[in-house]
Amino acid sequence: MASVSLRKITKRYKDTEVLHDVSLDIADREFMILVGPSGCGKSTLLRMIAGLEECTEGEIVIDGAIVNHLPPREREIAMVFQDYALYPHMTVEQNMSFGLRLRKLPKSQIDARVKDAANILQIQPLLKRKPSQLSGGQRQRVAIGRAIVRKPKVFLFDEPLSNLDAKLREEMRIEIAKLHQRLQTTIIYVTHDQVEAMTLGSRMAVVNGGRIQQMGPPEEVFCRPANRFVAGFIGSPTMNFVRGAFSDIGEGPRFKDDVMSVDLPPLVDGELRKALLDGKPRPAVLGVRPDDVYVMQTEPKDAALATVEVVELLGHRKNLHLKAGKGKLLATVDASFAGAPGDRVSIAFNPGRLHLFDEATQERIALEARTAPRQGAQPTA
Amino acid sequence: MNETDARAVYQKALKAHRFRERAALAAVHVGLVFYVLLSVYPLLRIFSVSLRPGDRIISTDLSLIPAGASFLSYMKVLHETNFLFWLWNSLIITCATSAIGVSLAAAAAYAFSRFRFPGHKTGLTLLLGNEMIPAAMLLLPLFLMIMKLGLINTYLGMIIAYSVTSLPFSIWILKGYYDTIPKSLEEAALVDGTTRFGAFIRIILPLSTPALAIAFLFNFTQAWNEYLVARVVLTDARMYTWTLGLFELQGQYLTQWGMFAAASILVTIPVLGVFLYSSKWLISGLTLGGVKG
Repeated sequence: MASVSLRKITKRYKDTEVLHDVSLDIADREFMILVGPSGCGKSTLLRMIAGLEECTEGEIVIDGAIVNHLPPREREIAMVFQDYALYPHMTVEQNMSFGLRLRKLPKSQIDARVKDAANILQIQPLLKRKPSQLSGGQRQRVAIGRAIVRKPKVFLFDEPLSNLDAKLREEMRIEIAKLHQRLQTTIIYVTHDQVEAMTLGSRMAVVNGGRIQQMGPPEEVFCRPANRFVAGFIGSPTMNFVRGAFSDIGEGPRFKDDVMSVDLPPLVDGELRKALLDGKPRPAVLGVRPDDVYVMQTEPKDAALATVEVVELLGHRKNLHLKAGKGKLLATVDASFAGAPGDRVSIAFNPGRLHLFDEATQERIALEARTAPRQGAQPTA
Repeated sequence: MNETDARAVYQKALKAHRFRERAALAAVHVGLVFYVLLSVYPLLRIFSVSLRPGDRIISTDLSLIPAGASFLSYMKVLHETNFLFWLWNSLIITCATSAIGVSLAAAAAYAFSRFRFPGHKTGLTLLLGNEMIPAAMLLLPLFLMIMKLGLINTYLGMIIAYSVTSLPFSIWILKGYYDTIPKSLEEAALVDGTTRFGAFIRIILPLSTPALAIAFLFNFTQAWNEYLVARVVLTDARMYTWTLGLFELQGQYLTQWGMFAAASILVTIPVLGVFLYSSKWLISGLTLGGVKG
């Protein structure tokens, strides 16, 4: 068990810089998720912690010691690879005991550790088999077992579930969560799957373009995304973005686009509030999650209108693809909703869950938390 | 068309299809049998000559075991010539060449497969280019080098000459095979606690046995059958390899064809043994299951 710190890490391949000045502190026993799209640099970051890649600049600190100069074997870490990376010519037992044999542990201790890990992961009957005789899920269990037996200071997981089918992925996700509760070891887990990111980690770092965009507990990242990228990346279905402008002449901020006008909760930033008194609208992007779009089949006079384009039944929910003016919106509604393509519907937004982003910087413009709705979306006057 | 007619048409078409399939298969087999006969016939003729009494190479008798067949030629080649010396020399040179050649190639190929260094691409191209130079053209520089090293008429001279000439092909074969082994296996081994060299020995080499076996066989057969370099480097009759020794049996006026054939048959035995032994290593699919396919 150990803490891990990354201090101003930069990684360059010739002229291409893939990680820019990344700093990250992971506490002892913490389950940290690194999440981001493919090619964002999250796996490179993990491989640098493992010692499989060198940092161009910056320091990696494990358990208080700078480890930049140490080879992987001296960092006391264990890694579970995306493609399992089991040694094909060895049995499951030999795979699991490989690291212990290299450390010349007594045979009795090796056997005991392998047996313990096999019990935890329920792979005792597979110990004499070769990897080619195992299913995908079994191989991933063995790969995790190989990491457990080492009793490392830090576990590194590099998209371990991405090669499994949906059902198996769900099972293994729960297994990994239980494993962390049981072992209480520091885990750094890389994934591009936001369900894994939301459910597994105690904290997550959203990475994009070689930079950490936001770091915090999953609820915070979901409810208060730091910028438009995080808002769009975290959450499924993805957040709706409406381009327009907002202003506040003392009656409370209001967002407008070509078809709707939305009352917003008060702005947190007092300076910005004062600046807005000039009456000049500021370009902005309004973010609304599909769950926070209310769709009504009645047409109240003061509601914005939209046309249903496509209806997708997901089981207990329905995704409605709507056309509102020039823009498109996605709304997730109850499966009992009877709307069909071509129907005219009125829409409103949950005002307590609106997100506002600066058009130029894409950064979040903080709004005060509000639970009681003041007013939904209205047609633009 | 009613159902009975449709069924009859289908049955007829099915019969014709099956006939075509069988005919094609039979044609392929006839071709293969012809090819096998073509390959085996010279060997059978030599075997027949080795059993023939006297030193007759030409005979109207086409039978495999000729009339009056005996192993006299075999006895004579073993007892009346230096055949066993030649065989011993060949074995020492060939085994050492194969072992050294494969070891050097295994390490060099790993470097070419896993590391990117200045001259990586040029090196590989030069190795390939070297393979395209006829052996006869290399003869003089090779002889001069071995002579300057004072290695004429020595095992070491022959071993060096053979090892380096087989190296480019072996490197290419092994590099190609290493490229198919996922890097994550080595990385897992590095994280598990081994060094880069340890990962090479414990993970890469055991997984590369088919390619290593091919490289070994190539080195072995090349060195075993080589004549030209041996002719230049070895001048002392006691140091002759079997390829040189065999020509001792060829006189100006008389060639001892029976002994020549018997010796030719005898020298195939070690190669045959090595091939049969290596075949168990020539299995594919060793890396199956290690990573997600």
